Amino acid sequence: MKKIIQAKINGILLRVEEGTTILEAAKRVQIKIPTLCKHPDLPPSASCGICIVKNKGSHKMLRSCCTPLEEGMDIITHDPEIVEIRRTVIELILSNHPNDCLKCARNNECELQKLTADFGIKEESFPQFLRDLPIDRSTKAVDLDPKKCILCGRCVHVCQELQDVWALSFLERGMKTRISPAGDIQLADSPCVRCGQCSAHCPTGAFVEQDHTAQAWKALQDPDKYCVVQIAPAVRVSIGEAFGYTGKNFTKKLYALLRRLGFNAVFDTSFAADVTIMEEASEFEDRLLHGRRPLPLITTCCPSWVDFMEKFYTDMIDHFSSCKSPHEILGVLSKTYYAEKNKIDPSKIFMVSIMPCTSKKYEITRNDEMFASGYQDIDTVLCTRELVRMIKQAGIDFDSLPDEECDSILGEYAGSGVIFGATGGVMEAALRTAHYFVTGKELKKVEFENVRGLKGVKETEIEIGAKKLKIAVAHGLGNVEYILNKVREAKNNGKEMPYHFIEVMACPGGCVGGGGQPYMVTDELRIKRAQALYQDDDQKQVRCSHQNPYIKRLYKEFLGKPLGEKSEKLLHVHYKARPVYVK
Amino acid sequence: MYTKVILVKDTDLKREDKTREFYTHLLDYLRGSNLHSQIQVVRVADIGVYDKGLVIKILPDKIIYCNVQDSDIKRIVDSTLDQGKIIEDLVFKLKAKQHRLVLRNCGKINPESIEEYIACGGYLGLKKVLGELGQQKLIEEIKLSGIRGRGGAGYPTWMKWNFAREAASTEKFVICNADEGDPGAYMDRSILEGDPHSVVEGLIIAAFAIGAPKGYFYIRAEYPLAVERIHKAIKQAYDFGLLGQNILGSSFNLDIEIRLGAGAFVCGEETALISSIEGKRGTPHPRPPYPSVKGLWGKPTVINNVETLANIPVIISNGGKWFSQIGTQASKGTKVFAVTGKVKNSGLVEIAMGATLREIVMDICGGTLSGKPIKAVQTGGPSGGVIPEALLDTPVDYENLQKLGSIMGSGGMIVMDEDDCMVDIPKFYLGFCVEESCGKCAPCRIGGFQMLGYLKKISEGKGVADDLGQLRRLSLAMQKASLCGLGQTASNPVLSTLKYFEHEYNEHILNKRCPAGKCSNLVTYEIVEDKCKRCGLCVINCPVQAISGGKEEGYLIAQEKCIKCGRCFDVCKFKAISKK
Amino acid sequence: MNKLTPHDLEKMHQASSGASKDWIKVGMSSCGIAAGADDVFNFFIEEVKKRNLQIEIKKCGCAGACYAEPLVEVSVAGLPPVVYGAVNKEVATKILEKHVISKMLVNDCIFEVLG
Repeated sequence: MKKIIQAKINGILLRVEEGTTILEAAKRVQIKIPTLCKHPDLPPSASCGICIVKNKGSHKMLRSCCTPLEEGMDIITHDPEIVEIRRTVIELILSNHPNDCLKCARNNECELQKLTADFGIKEESFPQFLRDLPIDRSTKAVDLDPKKCILCGRCVHVCQELQDVWALSFLERGMKTRISPAGDIQLADSPCVRCGQCSAHCPTGAFVEQDHTAQAWKALQDPDKYCVVQIAPAVRVSIGEAFGYTGKNFTKKLYALLRRLGFNAVFDTSFAADVTIMEEASEFEDRLLHGRRPLPLITTCCPSWVDFMEKFYTDMIDHFSSCKSPHEILGVLSKTYYAEKNKIDPSKIFMVSIMPCTSKKYEITRNDEMFASGYQDIDTVLCTRELVRMIKQAGIDFDSLPDEECDSILGEYAGSGVIFGATGGVMEAALRTAHYFVTGKELKKVEFENVRGLKGVKETEIEIGAKKLKIAVAHGLGNVEYILNKVREAKNNGKEMPYHFIEVMACPGGCVGGGGQPYMVTDELRIKRAQALYQDDDQKQVRCSHQNPYIKRLYKEFLGKPLGEKSEKLLHVHYKARPVYVK
Repeated sequence: MYTKVILVKDTDLKREDKTREFYTHLLDYLRGSNLHSQIQVVRVADIGVYDKGLVIKILPDKIIYCNVQDSDIKRIVDSTLDQGKIIEDLVFKLKAKQHRLVLRNCGKINPESIEEYIACGGYLGLKKVLGELGQQKLIEEIKLSGIRGRGGAGYPTWMKWNFAREAASTEKFVICNADEGDPGAYMDRSILEGDPHSVVEGLIIAAFAIGAPKGYFYIRAEYPLAVERIHKAIKQAYDFGLLGQNILGSSFNLDIEIRLGAGAFVCGEETALISSIEGKRGTPHPRPPYPSVKGLWGKPTVINNVETLANIPVIISNGGKWFSQIGTQASKGTKVFAVTGKVKNSGLVEIAMGATLREIVMDICGGTLSGKPIKAVQTGGPSGGVIPEALLDTPVDYENLQKLGSIMGSGGMIVMDEDDCMVDIPKFYLGFCVEESCGKCAPCRIGGFQMLGYLKKISEGKGVADDLGQLRRLSLAMQKASLCGLGQTASNPVLSTLKYFEHEYNEHILNKRCPAGKCSNLVTYEIVEDKCKRCGLCVINCPVQAISGGKEEGYLIAQEKCIKCGRCFDVCKFKAISKK
Repeated sequence: MNKLTPHDLEKMHQASSGASKDWIKVGMSSCGIAAGADDVFNFFIEEVKKRNLQIEIKKCGCAGACYAEPLVEVSVAGLPPVVYGAVNKEVATKILEKHVISKMLVNDCIFEVLG
């Protein structure tokens, strides 16, 4: 129990827990102190200098983002002097920031732009000074334009602390300070795993997803192309935010919308998630019962996680599920199974993935196995933010769109397929099917509440038949170390493994918190997005992948059996150690 | 065998040196009185008294007579030397005297010998702390002394120690901040080089006070000799059992390591210093939490400046009460200043708090080298401000200097005369801060850069009236919105010059003139016809052939070609080039 | 080296006081070295050896009068200890010949600023 302290903000007496920052406390008296660097996900970096407030009786100003409210303080959050200083600081930042809002990817969604408008800044008070720094487009997923960077440090903190990747750091000092990988190399040559969390947290247009909407438009107007599209689970519950809805599931509107954009067929990645479960649960059953490969089994749906493992945990390669990520599976199935069945020339099929993710942009060409259909299985990846722009470019009235159904055979999903979008979802879906595979019996209760929620590392024990299984779920790459160090230690000392099954998602909250999702995500929003997915699952007749009739048909008509020859060829991959830094 | 020595020096700046003349007269008189075999007369280079006419000092009695005339020789010899009587009307009473506590051993002992340090009472303070005092009484003693941090901010040392002592943690650290970086300040270097053991002893006592088993010296790498001497001192202390396990047979253990600063000024800021030791980028962090609660590796940490630590052993040896009697009401003890600039005797000066700036600059350091009047004194380095001549009678302490718009700072003191431009000076300091800004926070990073832009503009004669308003606005934003001391104080040199020398800014802006002749763009060189001897030296020396003419018709400087380098002005032997 | 006890420390402190030999101290901090103190120090060592003088040559830190470096303090029985400033080999020679050997203070070289 923390001590309660009493203080005043703008003359209003309030009681808060000791340690509450002035910024947080001010919210309770209806004051939102402006700031450019503080993000709800992150500890204060105290770099912008805008959130200053006064404590009566002191000539100093305090940064409210990092100063705890103390007993007896008498805080003033705004007066003419404070507002004037904030304005000066914003003007200073503007003097070191390009004036090209109209052509910026963050136009209308930029925190600096918004603050500038809020303060009514209409002219340049100070001479502009910009350094001529090149844009880094090397990752094919996220672009870094250092000129637009205001050095708030959010990305650096996200990359180093939340994600434990350490691709980004500050270089040089004073006015020469900039964000870059250490050693001033390109991002693609750095440890960067392209999770895009930098872009999701950036207040300006310094980090933005590489825009591939033009490729999609081009394919859509090509009469030779047969354009197909898939939407990832997490997209359906976040896209509404661009139109004023939070925590709402827009699956069926999205199907309608994508058809109106001109796609010939609309599929759902959740269906492929069910395929993933069939393969992965079989793999788990095989490892558990026959021990041909070691436990714990580690999930691999997340390309950033795969990249991270190939760079930092190469000793875990054996533990990785060889199963591809769901959207890659859907890509290969659309250019084989679907093409065959509908007698379409697979070379004409153009597959677009709508993903919450920037890393998938890179995944689609990461190695030869992404061309398993004989063609590039996925042609283009658009993240949620790009789709929003396409909707607006097309002028489609999102609010009044009707509900439509998905195209057949690669669309109908079980509840288990859609919860992939939330941390713990893959684990829960896999357990539902693995239980059946191992015991031959269906679960009475399919929910595994212990793997849900935003706790960084979730460890639990479950029973499958007579076996007690220890499982762990981590989201946010910074949480991986704890779990894998335990595995590593057991491995090195020949001890019993601490876990049987591990799920990892690179982004905090899983794909609902993905790097390509709408801006200004908070934990509150991540929970809402996840809840909408669990609700979808809850309302489904079929809750388990192996019960999905379309899945059964897929295996019967095309794949044979999980881990069968065809599955192995089309749906599975190999991993290899990669250097952390490319020379 | 000589019984007495008389030192002789003419200290009058305005006339030709009369030392030799007086010396001969004095010798003659002594010879006549047959005293020359007992009394030695010596001409000295500096007698420590300035602008007081002819000064003599009689040793070993240490009697000083000033404004001595030839006619005084008789009575000096007859009554003082012969009968030991003091001549009251000639006696010079030192107003300002150095008070050497911190520099007690500097220049006295061999810094590389622990034996010599111990001979001077070294490590007896530590012995007292371990044997008699204990933690609680030690901190009380420091509290009683009233000592405040000498790094610049003047935070009471005992409070820092007490917070860290009370913090519940088995791991604690002490750090000696030896990352001295203010331009012109080198007190810490001198202490580290001249008396390293006093700092080591101070750090051991600080560690004992808070119960820290580990300490660091954070020394800037540009001080190789200081590093070497601290390194030797630490090794000797280990050899003598004053570091390591069971110090002086007690149960107290302490290990000390040296960390080198890589040349960033901001790493002298304590939170940045901690980051640097941790191997991270040296940028400041928000406080609270203060290092004494959560510092190095997240553990309670006390960071003290070199000079603070060097004070500790003397405080312990002589008692807090003794120390508290030195200095002023709120600022106890002494302060070492590094006096540089246009001053005659540049060097280190240690005075009791409360001495006036004028005493330091005029009485101890002998005024300006050129003999020109002082315009201002700058204290506190890039975080400080300029204090105009009219305010030099202010007694030095933390609060007084702050009231004047400057700060005590770490102890840099730069003396300026009328050739120093009050736009150029803040431009220099701000340029330093812009260069050294870590770049983390916007008000400091961009604010300093923009302010520097305005100052450059003004010094180039391109300033407009509105610029002063912009400078004031930016200063306020930097002061209030910057994260650390560097940014918060970087505008002080600008604000203080604006406060006391706004007219000089206006001269630059409105009349496009630099009164000090420092801002090259605003200076015009012209040939003074009636002084010119037509030697042609200026023509030969002008690097851009801006001077034309000949022996017959005289010379002319073409203003559009002149690059204001000042070569002609410097080489002319007849003062025939005017600089306006 | 054996670790000191508090008693040893006290003994070292007392035993060392009272030594009164003739000595010359050269200020050897950065400011002194930059002004040439190293050469002066070595010169003294050599010359004292060459002339077989009974005087100890010692190092010390900066006494503060940086403008007058290299500073050399000389203490010889029968004369008050004085500090010479801006010492070079020429002045050093005078110090040895006049001050140390002839017991006469050298003219024009003393900086009597710290007394």
